[in-house]
Amino acid sequence: MPPFKDEHILIIAPGSQVTLAQLGLPESFTPARFRFPTRMFPAEKKGEYEPYKIRERRQEVKGTNGTTAPEDVDMKDAEAVKTETEPTGDAKTEGPDTNGAVKQGTTTEIFYDEDVTTDEGAVYPIENGHVVDWPCFFALLTHVYNHLSPPFHTPIMLISEPAWSARDRETITQFVFEKFKTPAFCLMDSALAVCYGYGTSTATVVDVGKGKVNVTAITDFLVNEHGRGIALEGCGGDYMTDRFVELLGSKGFSREMCEQLKRSNITELLPPGTPLPGAAATARQGANPAASAGSKDGAPGGGSSGTQTGGGNGEGDDDEGVLDVAAIVSGNTSEFLANREKEKAEKASAKKGGTDPAGKPLRLPNSKKEKASFQFEEYVRIEPDKETPNGPVRYMRQSREIEVGVERFLAATPKQHSAERLTGGLLEDIATQIHHTILAVPDATKRSELWDSLIIVGNGSKIKGFTQSLLGTISQKYILSPSATMFTSEIPSNFSTPLPTGGTNTPAPSGQAGPMNHPAGHGVNPLLVAATHANNPIPGTPSMDPAMSHHRSTGHSQTPTSVKTLRPPEYFAEWKEQSNTNAPGAATTGGPGAPSGGHGMEEAVFLGAQVASKVIFVLDQGLSKGFMSRVEYNENGPSAIHEYTM
Amino acid sequence: MNPSVAPSTAEYGGDEVSAIVLDPGFSTTRAGFAGEDTPKSLIPTYYGKYSSDGQEKLIFGDDVFVTPRPGLSIHNPMGRDGIVEDWDMAEKVWEYAFTSRLTGPKPGNPLQNGLNDVPEGELSTEMEGVESEEKLLADSPLLMSEPGWNPTKAREKTIEIAMEKWGTPAFYLARNGVLAAFAAGKASALVIDIGASNISVTPVHDGMILKRGVQHSPLGGDYVSSQIRALFKSNTPQPISITPHYLISSKTAVDAGQPPQAKYKTFPPERAPDVSYRTLLEERTLSEFKECVVQVWPGPNKLSAAGPNGVSNEELAKSNPGRPFEFPDGYNQVFGVDRYRVVESLFDAKAAIPDPESVFPAPTPAQTVPELIKNALNGVDVDIRPHLLANVVVTGASSLLYGFTDRLNQELMQMFPGPRVRISAPGNTAERKFGSWIGGSILASLGTFHQMWISKKEFDEHGPNIVEKRCK
Repeated sequence: MPPFKDEHILIIAPGSQVTLAQLGLPESFTPARFRFPTRMFPAEKKGEYEPYKIRERRQEVKGTNGTTAPEDVDMKDAEAVKTETEPTGDAKTEGPDTNGAVKQGTTTEIFYDEDVTTDEGAVYPIENGHVVDWPCFFALLTHVYNHLSPPFHTPIMLISEPAWSARDRETITQFVFEKFKTPAFCLMDSALAVCYGYGTSTATVVDVGKGKVNVTAITDFLVNEHGRGIALEGCGGDYMTDRFVELLGSKGFSREMCEQLKRSNITELLPPGTPLPGAAATARQGANPAASAGSKDGAPGGGSSGTQTGGGNGEGDDDEGVLDVAAIVSGNTSEFLANREKEKAEKASAKKGGTDPAGKPLRLPNSKKEKASFQFEEYVRIEPDKETPNGPVRYMRQSREIEVGVERFLAATPKQHSAERLTGGLLEDIATQIHHTILAVPDATKRSELWDSLIIVGNGSKIKGFTQSLLGTISQKYILSPSATMFTSEIPSNFSTPLPTGGTNTPAPSGQAGPMNHPAGHGVNPLLVAATHANNPIPGTPSMDPAMSHHRSTGHSQTPTSVKTLRPPEYFAEWKEQSNTNAPGAATTGGPGAPSGGHGMEEAVFLGAQVASKVIFVLDQGLSKGFMSRVEYNENGPSAIHEYTM
Repeated sequence: MNPSVAPSTAEYGGDEVSAIVLDPGFSTTRAGFAGEDTPKSLIPTYYGKYSSDGQEKLIFGDDVFVTPRPGLSIHNPMGRDGIVEDWDMAEKVWEYAFTSRLTGPKPGNPLQNGLNDVPEGELSTEMEGVESEEKLLADSPLLMSEPGWNPTKAREKTIEIAMEKWGTPAFYLARNGVLAAFAAGKASALVIDIGASNISVTPVHDGMILKRGVQHSPLGGDYVSSQIRALFKSNTPQPISITPHYLISSKTAVDAGQPPQAKYKTFPPERAPDVSYRTLLEERTLSEFKECVVQVWPGPNKLSAAGPNGVSNEELAKSNPGRPFEFPDGYNQVFGVDRYRVVESLFDAKAAIPDPESVFPAPTPAQTVPELIKNALNGVDVDIRPHLLANVVVTGASSLLYGFTDRLNQELMQMFPGPRVRISAPGNTAERKFGSWIGGSILASLGTFHQMWISKKEFDEHGPNIVEKRCK
């Protein structure tokens, strides 16, 4: 078998919302080049699926052929925004299905439109990590495969969800070999892929998805199956959306609004114990003319032209209320927004004759502001014109600002109507699962390291402050006080006791904390904190080191004495933290060709998949049974995949 | 038959159809494919029951440890002696063990995997009927383990479930003592299994148990937990009560021995979980305690006796550094000699910490490990005793108590000074925990074992009693 080449490797990482895919490995590994929404639409023929909703449109046609292209919508007046029609082109007719194409006279002709904006009637084949609709799932894989149209000699790397049972993996293996005729196939565990992405052999991977969370302890590149938190339901991003619906539903927020609020950059999780802004009346939002929630609904200027922005809002050159999304995407969001707020404030004060003293409070960080607003974007269906009553369905993207109060910090708080659970919210459930998973690792000596190498991935964890809050929750509940891990009698008594630092109130700038400054450290000997939190012995205290080493050597000490997240590798420039938009198309309807900007290390699984496929397919070439070859499949059948599953 | 020619698949059932091995225990249930080195599926045998919206709901798997639910109560289908008590629920727990990680809820239907694109309407109607009849294990042989003292009725019930409910094509029921011996690579051995609810000593000779020698007593891991609870009650300066993590919202660090300062959670009484849930979660903390603190006095001699040089063992134990432990509410304390005392009664019945409220009656001398071994050996032929003593296999998760094998070795040397005593206890935690499952995995993947299965046809012909004849 000739060796595999970088450019031939096909990687597919299915998720319950988005399926990432890429053909070929670039020089420097990039975020996934293709993002397919994980859903298909039932085709006309039962059992077949289409990637987009196909709408049937009947049109009275006069003339000899039925290909009269509908006219484009004119710009009616200044207030009408330019419509955004589907990028795949208007009224794409599917030749053979068009009946009556050759008939003379007035006939009813059926047009088939691909409607890329809707998810009406969509079938989502993966729910909470489980494949719930196999034919649809396979149709999706086929769609991805055909779209990328790999060459013949293409090895396939598929990222597998932990929730898939052994039988599921066999079924997938059989499908891939028999349908795609691939020469080599690797089914890689998603948590393990994350470890490859981070370049670590031991880690606790917390994957926060849409409806579920997986918690996996990996020691020496081996997945600890026992005690693994598999598809912990009701803990993913949907929890936070649901919570917003619960909090804001009475204020007229729809679910879609809550979803976008969650994705916007004003939503933040504050570390436990942080007071909500406004409680102390520290921040008073100045008059912000753009933030009059909902009032823009009917205002014609609230929309946007094209996909981005522009257009006056009735006040002439004042373009408040519309953000230049492109600028946000390309630049540093918070900086940009801060600048904007500043500008806005200046303008506002200029307009009102400088009477508004709002300049200062407006520059406060989001977490100190009582109220903030976000850009809500939606597709609005344009009513058919008189001229082309049966024209293709058109949408325009409208955006408006919506103001939200402190509710935006409460996404992870316990739901009121959770009849089925008694826990204190999302973060506590995840923390409990992490504790359970690490405690189930049989090798007790590894547990401390597992606590110190948490990796939090998954798009559900994208919310600002998620990592910090989770670490805070773990510290509050599980971190051991230093006196419980040391012999108190050996503590030198002449050390002063530090005052509480309140360190948890200051979120680390990058979201990747160093050593956690946990509240348990308050009022305890600083030396002890240092000794139990650092791996290197503190110089100058030789008397304590034997005790430490004796304590560690038994491997039976209790954990955790500290909890930290692992720092992502820095040499992949494309994976640096990026901002994201909350536009409805951002994650669901972006279409496969959409650029994959705005995705950082939350998708480390894909980075890891690239690293791993380079190692497995190109460098190792099957010597250490990294993948299953076609020959082996032919000999041993699909059940042999378990010997290769990574 | 020419040995160089591979046997035809028809003869051996084909190796690619991997059998499922199920090893049900009191505390955990292990299931996985034969030929693998650890069970893919490890679930607690405990299950949770609660009602929501007027409907009764059951929870299986690790979720019972993670998510407290309103009115949740915890049950176990097994009796304390390792024999199934609630068959309906045992069946459900075991089913969950395969379906969660191995087979999925339904066996893979080849019609639905998209490979056989059959034109619409040709097969659909008849296939629907087939699918509803398809059983859980319709294409996997099943090997199950059982304790050596499993009564005939329970064995017959087991094969009925496997054949009739799960539709397995072939079945075998093996003694877990024999399987643990196989896992250690021995056909004859004295297997000492320290489980959660039971400890047992099983003499195995040439792959058969010697039934007269099988001994068991309830001094397992749960008994050790009860001893730890008794210790906590009599603790000074104040008794320790365990508050599981789910009842605590945050804790504050306190110095050793100081009363805890934690913020507790309260649930309205109609939603509070049952006391059995709290007990289960306390048990989690206790197993952490067993891992981190508890140590078996390594010997020589009992903890209460004097050592070889005349110094009392207890004094010696006191001079060893203590081990600190922090409870979920933040209370922490260093445990000195007490951490030896809680397990001492496994070897010395008199050393038991008395606790009148415990569900475990005070142990009798005959229940201790040394006495069980003595009785087991007395029950077997005198000729094979030396052979058994040279092949002592230690298995079961509770045997991982720190220092257990050292002490066992000391006790055996004292009881049997003459013969060569050799203990085989794998250092690998997984091998010790899953000894009998691993033995089952080895057994079921052997080519020759295929002649031993009870096939569906044989079961239909002879009825459930065939298990008594074939699985000895």
